[in-house]
Parts: sequence; structure tokens; C-alpha cells
Amino acid sequence: MGDEQAAKQIIDKNIMIELSNNFPNVVSDVDVPSPNRAVARIDSSQVKEIMQFLLDKGFDHLSCISGVDYPPDKMEVVYHVTSYSGPLVITLKASIPRDDPNIDSLCDIYWNANWYERETYELYGIIFNDCPYLKVLLLPEDMEGEWPLRKDYAGYPNPT
Amino acid sequence: MGEIEMELPSNVALTTTSAIHDFIKGSPLQKLVNWGRKNSLWFMVHPMGCCGIEQICVGVAHYDTDRFGIIPRASPRQADVMMISGYVSKKYLPALKRVWDQMVEPKWILMMGECAISGGPWWESYSTVINMDEIFPVDIYIPGCPPRPEALLQGFIELQKKIEAQQDRTVIPNPADEGV
Amino acid sequence: MTHEATQITSPTKPSEILLHLGPQHPLQPGPFLLDLKIEGETIKEAELKIGYIHKGMEKVFEDRTYIQILPLADRICYLASNSNNDVYCRGVEELLGIEPTERAKYLRVITNELCRIQSHLLGIGEYTTDVGFLTMFLYMIREREGVVSLLEAITGSRLNHNYARFGGVANDLPPGYKEMALKTFGELKKQIKSHDELLSSDSIYLSRTKGVGVLTAKQASELGVAGPPLRASGVEYDLRRIEPYLVYDDLDFKVITQTDGDVFSRVKVRLLEILESIYIIEQCLDQIPSGPYKQDVMPYITRPKPGEVYSRIEDPRGEMGMYIISDGSDKPYRFRIRGPAFATAQALPPLLIGSYVADVAAIAASMDSCTSEVDR
Repeated sequence: MGDEQAAKQIIDKNIMIELSNNFPNVVSDVDVPSPNRAVARIDSSQVKEIMQFLLDKGFDHLSCISGVDYPPDKMEVVYHVTSYSGPLVITLKASIPRDDPNIDSLCDIYWNANWYERETYELYGIIFNDCPYLKVLLLPEDMEGEWPLRKDYAGYPNPT
Repeated sequence: MGEIEMELPSNVALTTTSAIHDFIKGSPLQKLVNWGRKNSLWFMVHPMGCCGIEQICVGVAHYDTDRFGIIPRASPRQADVMMISGYVSKKYLPALKRVWDQMVEPKWILMMGECAISGGPWWESYSTVINMDEIFPVDIYIPGCPPRPEALLQGFIELQKKIEAQQDRTVIPNPADEGV
Repeated sequence: MTHEATQITSPTKPSEILLHLGPQHPLQPGPFLLDLKIEGETIKEAELKIGYIHKGMEKVFEDRTYIQILPLADRICYLASNSNNDVYCRGVEELLGIEPTERAKYLRVITNELCRIQSHLLGIGEYTTDVGFLTMFLYMIREREGVVSLLEAITGSRLNHNYARFGGVANDLPPGYKEMALKTFGELKKQIKSHDELLSSDSIYLSRTKGVGVLTAKQASELGVAGPPLRASGVEYDLRRIEPYLVYDDLDFKVITQTDGDVFSRVKVRLLEILESIYIIEQCLDQIPSGPYKQDVMPYITRPKPGEVYSRIEDPRGEMGMYIISDGSDKPYRFRIRGPAFATAQALPPLLIGSYVADVAAIAASMDSCTSEVDR
């Protein structure tokens, strides 16, 4: 069990080297802080190609899509991708401009990206191009457009 | 948000008129009515948050409420008591008002837990309703996060005492009496 | 599987009806709205609308210090509160660069597994209520009260335990705990085995649950389902084996899987996992070392160095993750909660297409989602 797991980790770590080799100018800042975690920064225009590459290599589970707000000029979309057969978690961060935030949708590569994209859209205002059903998920319909999780949201703290 | 407005269509007849009710209130018959009501309080199973689990647990096996005559019912039409057991968000408030309107008089509300009473740990959030007692006519508050099942049983017993002392709302005002 | 079938459109033929189930409904605890378009008795389209107890947790957590978030992290999913607390503490401990003590690791494993047992008992109980088997619900709650008393003896609370701390746990085991636990577990094992026999042999129950709501292994991995529904379809994915945390690589336990992927298998996986958890706790109570249960010196104001961490745990409902970005101050910059119930709830509408209206309660309850975790 120990040898098998060690072999899996070596195979998994090489994925970051393969990723950088296949997408030379798009993937940058690769960091492997621990045996089971890898982080990289990617260009937001090549998101679909990178995700398809990872899916073909066996990373078949999209854990999470989140948004992070860095005022005044950029926002980030963070993807966490894992595999059903190994412990490695790859974190990919894509920067997008804050006044025109849009990025391609992953719904035809990973089926379960839909709800994560809807949630990020309604909380941050990031538009996911070609997402089949981009509507509010958690907020009431009249709160669409308020983007509550941005750092300059005026409605928090709400003492009323 | 103000009070709930109840509109009765003009062709609906109330089951009792105010005169009969006033007569019963003054006589020892009211004690019989109160005894019947307080010993068969059926609450609507309506778990909304963490307090909902304690609400489920108090109705079954260990902390049995059936010995007081209190049993859980799923539909609002068949229940007397609504237990707001948990967090109420702005999205859910219209649905909650509609459920409350569907319950038949006489009916009571038990506010259970901090989130319902004042917003709880999430009182600063953009989606909390913190002035629930301005929207609903609350009878009993049960504080705690979550309150223990024994506290919930005490809440029911206090409600029974309240019913026994005739301090409940028994009938909605008859619009025909408005001009009198 | 496409997304089109999970968006409701208006009925076009006179034989189609739009049915709204919720937000106040007798199914799982917690409000959600399930819109169904049915023709006759078959479901053509389904849409799940959530957000009725959306608390805005991620925004509130950006405004609280790390120590203030400790009791609030329990309330993400109230049935699995120890797991939420544990994954949060492990994430912040990694940012701070400290490790819990050995004894604290065993104590955390004991409370995590007790939490798993009581969550599964309630989940199976709620499910049998929705199927119509009310007596089993009362049995499960009776069993659950014994387990909750064990948790209360250690942590002091029945629900939302708030037990783990940075670098250790809040208190130690009370004296005489091992005998109390073994006595409760002896009773519990007997009862679970007899419930398992009852549920596997009752012919009405079998005809209602065998072959209903089937998810193949390929569909389950594509839809992103997590936890017992995934293991009931045959995918052997348990974070306690894939990425062992705390002391799970020293313990001996099996990963329970079934192959059919229907409602019956999901409930069976939960029942067998209860027995495995009891076995894990018995090993822990034998192997637990003596020593301190928390670090001697703990900072009062926690200021982790700038960085980020993604910590994971095997929740009773699947894989829970927390992604914390710290900017050096005493409040997190971004706190992202990845809940397993969100992933499983997303997979419910495509699963319902093609089945009967009368089976909706059984299928939705067998997925055992916790609405508070879906909505956060």
C-alpha cells in the first residue's frame, strides 16, 4: 500500500512539469508546497484547453470554483481539480480584469461546473461565457446585480 | 415590513360571531375550551436550521412530547403551533408568511433559537431577517444555540400556561365590526 | 448528460403538469424548492432551487478573527459539526505551522467517528420516514440518543460541539469513558445488525427500493456526486484512505462499497459504515497514548503568515474542503467552503428524470443532503 501510494505521488507530481511543457507561456508560477498540493497560475484565455488536458490525464473531478476579489484592478477565478484515484489537488488561478470580468465556462468539460459558476456569478459578477444557465442560485432574484462578496459592497455589515 | 394584512372575501362567514365568543369568555366554559386547546397542541414539523434537529428529536423517542399531547404534523393546515426553528432569510420570508396564513386559528408561534429571535451569529449578514417579531405575532421565545430539548419542553409548558390564562388571540377581527 | 433537462420550461401539452415541492415540505430537513414537470406519473424535467437558508457565511467569515470563526464553523453543516471544526482547525494549523499533539489526534478521530455515526443514524431515520417506515425512525433516534450522550460526555454539547482547537482539543476524556463507550457500542452493534436484517428481508421495502434511482459508476463520477452515494455505485473513494489525515493510516478499516447504485445500496452503505466507525473507535480507545491534549503555548491572537491552504476531510456526506487565503492579518482574506452536499444536490435533478412521482421522496432522501451546507 505504501509503495503504490508513493508511486502514485511521483506520477502525480510529474503532471505539473507536463502541464508547463505543454502550455509554455500560459502556465506560470508553478509551486508544489507539499506532496499532495500543487498550485499554478494560468492565463484566462486558455482555461478550456488546460482543463481538457487535465481531464485526459485522469483528473476527472472538479472540486470547486471560487472567485477572489483584489480591488482595485483585478479578480481571480480559482479552480480546484482532483482525481478519483489519487490524492493530488491542483489549484489553478486565472486573473481577469475587474471592470470587465468574463471567462470561458467549463460546463461541457466537467458537468458539475454549472452550479459553481452560477454561484460565482451571483456573488462576484463574473460572467462565464457559454454557460448554459447563468442565473442566480442562492440569492433572491431581486438581489441579482449587487455582487455581495466584492470587497466594496455597501450592504455589509447590515445592522437593520 | 409591517403587520400581515388579512383580507377576508365578503362571502366567507366566520364560524362564530364575536357575541358568542364574548359570552364564552366570561363563563366557566372558556376553561373547558382552554383545557382542550392546551392539551393537544400539534406543531408543524418545519426544520429550518440546526434548531430543526432538536425540534425533530424532541418529538420522538427520548424526549417524548406525545405524553403532553403534542405531536408533529407535516401540513400547516393540520397544525396549531408553528415553530420557527432556525434561520430565516430574505428569500424564504414570503413563503413563510404564506405558510403562516394557511394555518387555521387558533394558532401560536414559538421562536426557537437565536437565529430566529435576532439573527443569531449571522445578524450582520446581507440576507438575514432580524426583526421577526415585527412581522409575526410571537408567543414564546426559546433562547439558545441550539436550545436543549428540555428547554423546548419548558417552552411548550409555558405556552400551555399562557393558553390556560386566556391570554391568546382567539379570533381574527370581523371586518363587519369595523365601523361599529 | 446535458444541462437542458434540468431547466424547467412551461408545460406545452394538456397532459403535463408543473408540480412545486417546497419550500416547506416534509422531505429532508431544510427548505428547498423542487420543481417537477410531470406527464402522467413520469417526471420529464426537474429543477432544484436552493438558497432559502443562505446565510452569507463567506462574507461574515471575512469579518471575524480566526478564533471567532471556530464556533461558527460548526454551524456550516450541523449534523457533521465535528468534521467542519476539524477541517478548519487543520487548515489554520497548516498556515500557522503547528501540529496537534498525539493524544489530541486520537481524540479528534474519536469525535469525528462518533459524529459520523449519529449523522448516519439520523440520515437513515429521515429516509425511512420518507419511505413510510415510521417505526424505523423511532428506533434510529433511540440509538442516536445513546451516541449523542457519548458525545455530550466529552464535549459538553449535543449539537454544534466546538471541540477542536488550534493545536489540540478543548477537553480530555472523562474518567470511566471507555467502559461507558464499550457498553453503548455493544448494544448499538446488536441493534444495527437486526435493523440491517429487517431492511434486507422485508419484501415491501425491497420492492420499493431495489432498482429505484440507479446511478452507475460512470454517471456518478461525471455528475460529481460525493460520499455514500458515490461509494454505493462502486467507486472506491474515501479520503481516509486516499489522503490519510490525523491517525487514519495507523488504523485498520474497510472502505464500504456496493455495486448496484440504487436507493437500497445507498442505505446499506450507511448502515455498514456505522459498524466500521464503531470498530475504528474501539481501536482508538485501545491505542490512545497518554500525554497533553493541547499545546502548552497558544497565541491568543492568531496571525498566520500570508499564504493559502486547501484542507480536506471525509465528512459523513463526502469530501469537504476549505480554501483559506490569509493576508497576514487576524482575519481571513477569503474563506471558501466546498461542501459535499452542494455537489450531491446538483446531481439530484438528472437522477429524477424518468422516475415516478411517488419515488421522489425515496430518491431525494437517500441522497441525504444537508440543506444548510448546500446554501451556506
